[in-house]
Amino acid sequence: MVRDITLGQYFPGKSFIHRLDPRVKIVITFVYIVFIFVASNFEGLLTMSALILGVLLLSGVPLKQYFKSLKAILFVVIFTSVLNLFYGGGRVLWSWGFVQITSGGVSNAVFITIRIVSLILFSSVLTFTTSPTELTDALERIMKPLKLFHVKVHEIAMMMTIALRFVPTLLEETDKIMSAQKARGADMESGGLMQRIRGLIPVLIPLFVSSFRRAYDLAMAMECRCYHGGEGRTKMKVLHVSGLDAVAAALTLVVCAAVIFCGIYFPASLH
Amino acid sequence: MNDKQVGTKMDYIKADNISFSYDEPEIEEQHEVLKGVSLGIRKGEFVALLGHNGSGKSTIAKTFNAMLLPSGGKVYVDNMDTMDESVLYEIRRRVGLVLQNPDNQLVASIVEEDVAFGPENLGVPPADIRRRVDDALKAVEMYDYRLNAPYKLSGGQKQRIAIAGIIAMQPDCIVLDEPTAMLDPRGRTEVLNTIHKLNEEQGITIVLITHYMDEAVQADRVIVMDSGNILTEGTPQQVFSQVELLKKHQLDVPQATELIYRLKAGGFDLPDCALTIEECVAALEPLLNKASLGETYADH
Repeated sequence: MVRDITLGQYFPGKSFIHRLDPRVKIVITFVYIVFIFVASNFEGLLTMSALILGVLLLSGVPLKQYFKSLKAILFVVIFTSVLNLFYGGGRVLWSWGFVQITSGGVSNAVFITIRIVSLILFSSVLTFTTSPTELTDALERIMKPLKLFHVKVHEIAMMMTIALRFVPTLLEETDKIMSAQKARGADMESGGLMQRIRGLIPVLIPLFVSSFRRAYDLAMAMECRCYHGGEGRTKMKVLHVSGLDAVAAALTLVVCAAVIFCGIYFPASLH
Repeated sequence: MNDKQVGTKMDYIKADNISFSYDEPEIEEQHEVLKGVSLGIRKGEFVALLGHNGSGKSTIAKTFNAMLLPSGGKVYVDNMDTMDESVLYEIRRRVGLVLQNPDNQLVASIVEEDVAFGPENLGVPPADIRRRVDDALKAVEMYDYRLNAPYKLSGGQKQRIAIAGIIAMQPDCIVLDEPTAMLDPRGRTEVLNTIHKLNEEQGITIVLITHYMDEAVQADRVIVMDSGNILTEGTPQQVFSQVELLKKHQLDVPQATELIYRLKAGGFDLPDCALTIEECVAALEPLLNKASLGETYADH
């Protein structure tokens, strides 16, 4: 049951999006997310949505998976859009007492919905098409300038790598401990919230103890393999910026320019 | 045992009268895990290190690659002192250590990236790392799994990945600390076959710490440790023929050896020692033939 939790789900493939340099992908995703908020009218936002649709199709990841990731935040989307229905001016469409829905409210709600959905889809594209190791590797390189401010960039990336590596191992272990405690008569599924939380203690304590043992072992194994920090370390996979990345970057520029253009030449639709 | 002649020029790893005790402030009486042990491991040799839990066999293995430094005496690897910090990484590169739990020694979430971890630490150029990783994975017959996630593999496969991670550093010697203790019989066979293949084909020195007697039987030399000392050493033949000595220290002997030993004690005329099932069969066959012949004669 715990195993259903998926983190950083990656779908291997050879699409245009998969082959982009992970650093470029991260930067582009970041730029797009910023521009989703820069877009202040429907024209701009729809340009971005059209682009997302194109990217989704290009990624070669089954569209079902994207719907799944949207389903996870369905509640947030409904909540914010319903809330937005009641704000904004314009023609009154429906009213009940002091509660009224206006045309401005409706367009606000639609706008926010598109915004959140685009946001989720963009970040999903990144995690679906980039392996966790590629991601940490790219982050390490992107953050490299921070070394000047004594940020331990290599150590942070190493921690992320190890954390990702041990997620499935620890989930499996949690499952095992839960079964073992249930076999000893532990009750984890009944009672109120407090009782359930208390019921988790017999799971958490063995999990912690074994994690420390694992940490000790892993540290030793790493030292046996000559690990001594990021100093003088090389990488098997060298990241290359290719023509594909240039194309992607150019496309990004065009879309961003379009969004800015829309912002200037069309009257803002939101108030 | 300490006055025994050890440390010839041929020895690749040489432990010279080493002692070791763990610092445990809460225990007043310091527990000495190693009490002046001397031994030598020759290049290309396959040595099995036997002993109980707490006999000091794991501790001595960790002194071989400077994970632990002896509190008395010296350990030399290819004439380099393990105390010398300037050659620390050279020693660890040459003497790789594989631990018991395969899950706890894999670092990366993709097999080939885990194998690359060692050479990456050594600062090997990227193209070379690629080649070493491919070679190492082929050597342990896990090349087809290079893009898999370790948690989806079996215990034996994970342990072979751990071995590949060491091989990628191009070591002279691999020390394996009970590598099969957590594996099922199939995984054990896979790992043992891999180690033997590396020893025979690539000439890598193997120190196998184990408490499975049938694994020790396949070694060139067996060293038996008991409470911080070497109890006995020699070829499997020499060691396991000392059944009384091993029994006195609550150590097992291989089943085949045990059977022959008991039959001999029962007055049967048998060779001194049999280590494998085949040897045992060969030893018993004449006896059985004689017996059945006797019966046939009796029938007539």
